[in-house]
Amino acid sequence: MSESIRRNLGLAAILIALFGIGFLTKPELYGDPGWLAGNIATILQQSAAIGVVTVGMTFVIIGGGIDLSVGAIVALAGVWSTTVDTQGFGAAGMVFTALAVGAGVGLVNGILIAYGRLVAFIATLAMLVAARGLAAQISGKQTQLSLNATINSLTTTKLLGIPLIVLIFAVVAAAGAVLLNRTTFGRRTIAVGGNPEAARLAGINVRGHTMLLYVLSGLCCGIGAVLLTSQATSAQAAMANLYELDAIAAAIIGGTLLSGGRGTITGAIFGVLVFSTITNLFAVNNLSTEAQNMVKGGIIIAAVLVQQIKFGSLTAFLHRQKAVTAPTT
Amino acid sequence: MKPGPINRRRILLGGAILTTTAALAACTGNDTPSSAQTKGGDAVPNSSPGKAVTIGFSAPAADHGWIAAITGNARAQAATFSDVTLKTVEAGADAAAQRAALATLVSQKPDVIVVLPHDGKELNSFGLEAMKADIPVVNLDRAFPDALAYRLQIKGDNYGMGAAAGHYIGTRLTAAGTASPIIGEIAGIDSLELTQERSRGFKEALAVYGFSVANRRAAEFTADSGQREATNLLNALPTMDALWNHDDDQGIGVLAAISQASRGEFFMVGGAGSTAAIQTIQADNSVLKASVTYSPSMASSAIALARLIAQGRGMSDLVELAVPKEIVLASETITKDNAAGYLPLGF
Amino acid sequence: MNEILRLTDVVKTFPGVRALDGVHLSVARGEVHCLLGQNGAGKSTLIKILSGAHRPDSGRMDWQGTPVAFAAPMEAMRAGIATIYQELDLVDHLSIAENVYLGHEPRRAGFVRRAEMLRRTDELLARFGHAELDPARMVHTLPAAGRQLVSIARALSHEARLIVMDEPTAVLAHDEVANLMRVVRELTALDIAVIYITHRLEEIREIGDRVTVLKDGRSTATGLPADTPARDLVTRMTGRAIDSIFPARPTTVDAPALLTVSGLTRRAEFTDVSLSVAAGEIVGITGLVGSGRSELLETIAGARRADSGAITLDGRPVRGGVPGAVRAGLVLAPEERKSQALILGEPVYRNMTLAALRRFSAAGLTRPGRERAAARALAERLQLRPPDVERPVGTLSGGNQQKVVLGRWLLGHTRLLLLDEPTRGVDAGARAELYQLIRDLAADGLGVLMVSSEVPECLGLADRVLVMRAGRIVHTGPAEGIDEEKVLELAMGGK
Repeated sequence: MSESIRRNLGLAAILIALFGIGFLTKPELYGDPGWLAGNIATILQQSAAIGVVTVGMTFVIIGGGIDLSVGAIVALAGVWSTTVDTQGFGAAGMVFTALAVGAGVGLVNGILIAYGRLVAFIATLAMLVAARGLAAQISGKQTQLSLNATINSLTTTKLLGIPLIVLIFAVVAAAGAVLLNRTTFGRRTIAVGGNPEAARLAGINVRGHTMLLYVLSGLCCGIGAVLLTSQATSAQAAMANLYELDAIAAAIIGGTLLSGGRGTITGAIFGVLVFSTITNLFAVNNLSTEAQNMVKGGIIIAAVLVQQIKFGSLTAFLHRQKAVTAPTT
Repeated sequence: MKPGPINRRRILLGGAILTTTAALAACTGNDTPSSAQTKGGDAVPNSSPGKAVTIGFSAPAADHGWIAAITGNARAQAATFSDVTLKTVEAGADAAAQRAALATLVSQKPDVIVVLPHDGKELNSFGLEAMKADIPVVNLDRAFPDALAYRLQIKGDNYGMGAAAGHYIGTRLTAAGTASPIIGEIAGIDSLELTQERSRGFKEALAVYGFSVANRRAAEFTADSGQREATNLLNALPTMDALWNHDDDQGIGVLAAISQASRGEFFMVGGAGSTAAIQTIQADNSVLKASVTYSPSMASSAIALARLIAQGRGMSDLVELAVPKEIVLASETITKDNAAGYLPLGF
Repeated sequence: MNEILRLTDVVKTFPGVRALDGVHLSVARGEVHCLLGQNGAGKSTLIKILSGAHRPDSGRMDWQGTPVAFAAPMEAMRAGIATIYQELDLVDHLSIAENVYLGHEPRRAGFVRRAEMLRRTDELLARFGHAELDPARMVHTLPAAGRQLVSIARALSHEARLIVMDEPTAVLAHDEVANLMRVVRELTALDIAVIYITHRLEEIREIGDRVTVLKDGRSTATGLPADTPARDLVTRMTGRAIDSIFPARPTTVDAPALLTVSGLTRRAEFTDVSLSVAAGEIVGITGLVGSGRSELLETIAGARRADSGAITLDGRPVRGGVPGAVRAGLVLAPEERKSQALILGEPVYRNMTLAALRRFSAAGLTRPGRERAAARALAERLQLRPPDVERPVGTLSGGNQQKVVLGRWLLGHTRLLLLDEPTRGVDAGARAELYQLIRDLAADGLGVLMVSSEVPECLGLADRVLVMRAGRIVHTGPAEGIDEEKVLELAMGGK
């Protein structure tokens, strides 16, 4: 797929340009290899939780859906796994709880959407509200500390110089890319999102598959909750605020069609890295959050424009075939 | 507003002072015998039961420890009075939802309403309406701009909080003889007026010592956002002398980031005064050396004062026959030395 | 001759494509001028130039005797050229009148004069004999034929002198076609010229006055009389002579039934349908739109659930919805290829392997090398053009898209192929190829059950023909023993 390679090269170029800007504005920091390595590690660490969530989101969007509840699921999974009861079962218990809660909420989303025939936007919007509410209920609206040293050390322990949470992120991203590109599951995801009726008539269990996509997204949120809890050494109902928008934005600038049927995990990961790098660059230069948000918005628009131009040629062809261009009256 | 000499003096005095503004019950009687306006020890104490009153209460849904503490404190304080019935309504997710919730509350005709609005400006009109309907309104923390919209305003001092943090850092660094120190700041949600007030107080207080903020990041009052912003800030400032974090809840994440980065060359001041933070200060085993208060105890005070307003009583230690119109809490600085005394007020 | 439109040597290029390469066209007042050409011959581009959506690179366009260059569709509309597209451009949730007058509503002081608009719409509809349509009716409640009438009324509301119709019968059933022909005649009686684009040669003879044939962006014949023999037209259109469109039938063999359907019923769709298809046999179902043909096919394919009745393949009952039917080897190539069968942005090979992914994967991992090899072999067997399996399937012509759909089912262990309108949107040249292909598949031992609203297609290709009327099978018999007239009589309820 040269199309997606071109796009990824473009995003890589943006990343390099961002580092170039960093070097021009803060040469004393970016010129120091030790600092630079540490800063890259920071960017990767800050990308880990949202990155894992974005992998799940990308699958859902390619499959023709949307999951607005990811941030809320992260919060619920984080809060649930940091309740004292759960922490009593050790790190394994906490991880299991987070993954089970994530997958469970995803399953509810999936059943509502695939079998209850709710519009994904509405079902997951409702779940967003409900899951945050439940998280607030469980936590008693308090910030819950993670008392488990093993969970907390995922952020600090390094393997070959790389923090464990970054390694987990890399493993999830790689698994996601393989799942999408090299498995029947991935192929069916593209088919279900690209043309659900065609997929159905080709014998694919469209509803079952759609449900699995939301379970997958929920599972990714569970993993993301473990990573975020480790980083913040705590969890609370308001954590992972607006992750849904960040994940959608990253997937979109990575070339995922919001209407489904097309997208890549690599692109989405690049999208996450671009956003984290911008946050980091603005922090290093002590620029305001407002300016940062404006730049992020600009990048999303630019990416979507590029997407339209690239798909323009195919669309134009199809239009020529069908002569659908309407007169203005 | 530019820092003028008045502001500066206010800062040096160490924060704001309990202010009383007129709004006294007019002394219409002409049979007052004494000319000196003093209060003897014979007054009926405020704690003595009065007529039974119903207090309506509304605060935003808590997504944060501080607001959770506000609601908790209000409930707890109301429970201590045998003559108070508390009616709480869920304020929902935004100002419009809160306005709707308050409308139902008004229809139940409580004797007084205590409200922590989502946004003081947006709910100002509610205050006016309720006051017009003869229901006194106690405005908690987020001020109504219109003085006619409330009977009593009780709030924290955001500017004073920033100023106290700046003052503490300024004094400590000056005492240590640090020339041109590098100071970091992790603010709360940047779009809130209270965050801007805090940052302004901090900046102006530091200016008194000739210091300035080297890098300021805005988090979202959550631990994970605190960790994110602090991690980036620590990278931006490879060495630092002092750090002020606006909020102890997000401070959990800030402290996590600091320990994850194995940094410790600076000291940190927190904000709001959570129990965990006070304990950490007391233990003196981390970079957190102080916290400046913005105590949710104001909710307890608001309930106590609302009761007096509804009962038509004044504060027993004050001369005036009615509760004052405005109370601004002083922001206090908690350090290792006085932490024990603040522990009961932590949230 | 009273000429209203003349195109002289019109050229239009797009990046990498010479869409029009010298087109000549002359249309007279009040005539029906048919435009014939295969997909990709340049018909769509020509329509867009006439309607002002594109501007020609060179060449000349004279409208009512003066040279014109339309910069926008609005200008063409004002000049009196209206275009009725295949995919009708109506707003579903507005009324007929509101659609007709969309953008030029009669108004006074900024307010739409509703009553006036309804009255005028009524008048317009009456002009071509459809006074029975209520102008206040919502457009989304209309069938395709009714929507077409709304578009025609809209054209009249703009005082059109020339109406371009892009394959108007593609969306219509047989009886609706007759009505459209009548409407076209009403239009010409009003001295309005019609450019009529079609794939169907018999329509040209029925309605056309003259014919212009396009091939590869050039007009290979202009202004031929409409009674030019079909063979000549096909030759000019394809550049090659087609001896016979339909492949020869093999001598009948008495094979045992492969598919047996008995007593199949779905409420309000079809009732008590029984039929059988033998291996190597092609059975055609025909009937009017609404007779339940497509619903029957989809039910056999497992895409709809029958209320009662049984479906067996090789004597074994078929259960479990579409997945069950596919496992049994009972598969459907649906009517709407683009919306029901293909994932347009995905490459040809992935569309082909979609239903047989299990065969091309190990432990859930796909094996693209084997997929591509299988797809390439199929592309050769199906004579796919271009034979590039990496191309997005959306960039292929209709006939080649249909080959990809057939290819998908040939990759599996298909026993019986259900074809719904297999040649819809496929041009005449490619049709012959598809017919041959279907016959070859049958010769390989597949059973074929197809639905077609084109009676000649059913009679020409199938071994046996079933006629459906109002959800019931009213006739079963060998295709050779029946003619088109008889079939229509049966389909419409006899006379």
